[in-house]
Amino acid sequence: MIFAQDVHVHFRTRFFRRKVRALNGLTLEVRDGDFFALVGQNGAGKSTAMYCFLGLLRPTSGKVEIMGQVPELGCRLYKDIAYLPEEPHYHLYLTVEEAIRYYSSLYGKRVSNKTINESLERLGLAQFKTLPLAKCSKGMKQKVGIAQCLIHEPKVLFLDEPTRGLDPLIVREFRETLREIHQRGATIVMNSHVLSEIEMLANRVAIIDRGKVVVQDELQNLLTLNQELYRVIFDGNGNGVVPEYLTAVERTGHLVRAFLPKSRLSDFMEAVRASGLLLHECSLKRTSLEESFFNIIKGEATLAETDNSNRAASLGSSL
Amino acid sequence: MTELLKANIWADVRFYRRSKLLLAFMLVFLLLTALQSLPPLFMNSGVQSFNSLQEIVADLNFFLLILAAGMGLLVISSHLRNRSLKMVFTKPCPPEVWLLSAFLSAAAMSLFLNVVVLGSTVVLSLLWHLPVRMGLVFVSAETFVASLGLIAYLMLLAMVMHPALAAIVAIIFNADLFYQFDVWTKAAIRSGNSSFALRMVEKVFRCLYILLPIVYPFDKQTENIHSSLRVLSSEWKYLLFSFGYALALTAFCYCVSLWALKRKNHI
Repeated sequence: MIFAQDVHVHFRTRFFRRKVRALNGLTLEVRDGDFFALVGQNGAGKSTAMYCFLGLLRPTSGKVEIMGQVPELGCRLYKDIAYLPEEPHYHLYLTVEEAIRYYSSLYGKRVSNKTINESLERLGLAQFKTLPLAKCSKGMKQKVGIAQCLIHEPKVLFLDEPTRGLDPLIVREFRETLREIHQRGATIVMNSHVLSEIEMLANRVAIIDRGKVVVQDELQNLLTLNQELYRVIFDGNGNGVVPEYLTAVERTGHLVRAFLPKSRLSDFMEAVRASGLLLHECSLKRTSLEESFFNIIKGEATLAETDNSNRAASLGSSL
Repeated sequence: MTELLKANIWADVRFYRRSKLLLAFMLVFLLLTALQSLPPLFMNSGVQSFNSLQEIVADLNFFLLILAAGMGLLVISSHLRNRSLKMVFTKPCPPEVWLLSAFLSAAAMSLFLNVVVLGSTVVLSLLWHLPVRMGLVFVSAETFVASLGLIAYLMLLAMVMHPALAAIVAIIFNADLFYQFDVWTKAAIRSGNSSFALRMVEKVFRCLYILLPIVYPFDKQTENIHSSLRVLSSEWKYLLFSFGYALALTAFCYCVSLWALKRKNHI
């Protein structure tokens, strides 16, 4: 469906003409029907990768294809594609209603007033429909972006930080809408810093670091169960004594949260029974996407440091 | 294609209507014209009224040319600079259609303003008891034709450079400047300084003069029309020639602008 092979994007800074590698051999594949998330630090190259997929940025080298075609500005391919940009790059002189009408009509079909009004109602924009986009808040602009994205029921959606600046109610509704669209068979590619959101929605994840994909896998494979550690939650009942083998102890009121090594499970159960503590939860610790992300990025940073010091050493010896 | 053209023209017309810069520019010129039309109200002489009308026609048409150039410049530079084209080119709307609609919308606005100016000058003629001359129609039509070429040229400049630089190039480095340079170098050569460098410089100025667009390519032939506001039947052909020149210039600028737009690394 979406395919990028060894994509390099290099920029030159304006004054000193310093070379910046925005993408450095990015290779990834999004399959038909995937809910694919691109994860990475600021400046890792997520948005640049998305611009390449959309044909908005010409790669310095490498190959990008969507549905078997090289994306070009405004080509026929886009009739099945919707894009929600990260920055509100909208026509700021248009009002909310005019902007949705304009973006919808760029698909070459007339959109009825009813459809536009429904979309305004659904996103809570009806009362602001005559407000110019220049005067709208970031969240409202984002809602306009979402409305123009969903009005034509696209087959492929590119979402760059879609929930940035949105209120929790709209985030929840938007999430449901995305699930619905995905279940209907649409392919979704999303950039987001909100890892919990990705955990809820995506089925495949690519972690990008310094312009290349370091991990590309099913989300389930990244959310592994830790076989050596249990997460326990119990009612401390005001009793300050917590067994010494529990780690990362957190207290919230009566509740105590901590990690328990597998080897001490029977000791802990014994202690609970003896003291009559109320045990709320005892389950194998699940590695969150956040933890996986940090581990991978930390690992990559260490590798890069080792690589750099090796290079410096070899340079020193050759000199 | 028609739907896309319509949608883009609709959005661009809104852009012109809501541009504060264009509005301020228009208000200043209208104020100046209004001030200029006050003195004839207190005059009884038909000659003085005619002279005032002629001045007003010349000023308003000059203002329309600048406004048309401004529209061409702004419609491209504002969309490029605030990156709103991302929203257009990620829809099935090719750059060819977007660029054409930007040009057509500016041309339509220019036509509308020319009609308004023509109507106003006809009304002034009637108010001041002057005969309504065909020269008014000719001058308006010629201004509109010239504005087509100017819009396309400024669109091209805005596509390849910063709008401030584009304005400087259009105002200072135009065909008139290089015509003057060409005349000076020719005069220097005739007066005995026929060095190789000077002859080369003269050729460069000549080439630049020929290559750069000319606002009124037949201004010598139509000079009398502007001063007398009368048109001979044999003079209408210059309007047709000007239209041909403007069309060729527009087609050239459109193709180069499109090429530059497609060659942009980052939209």
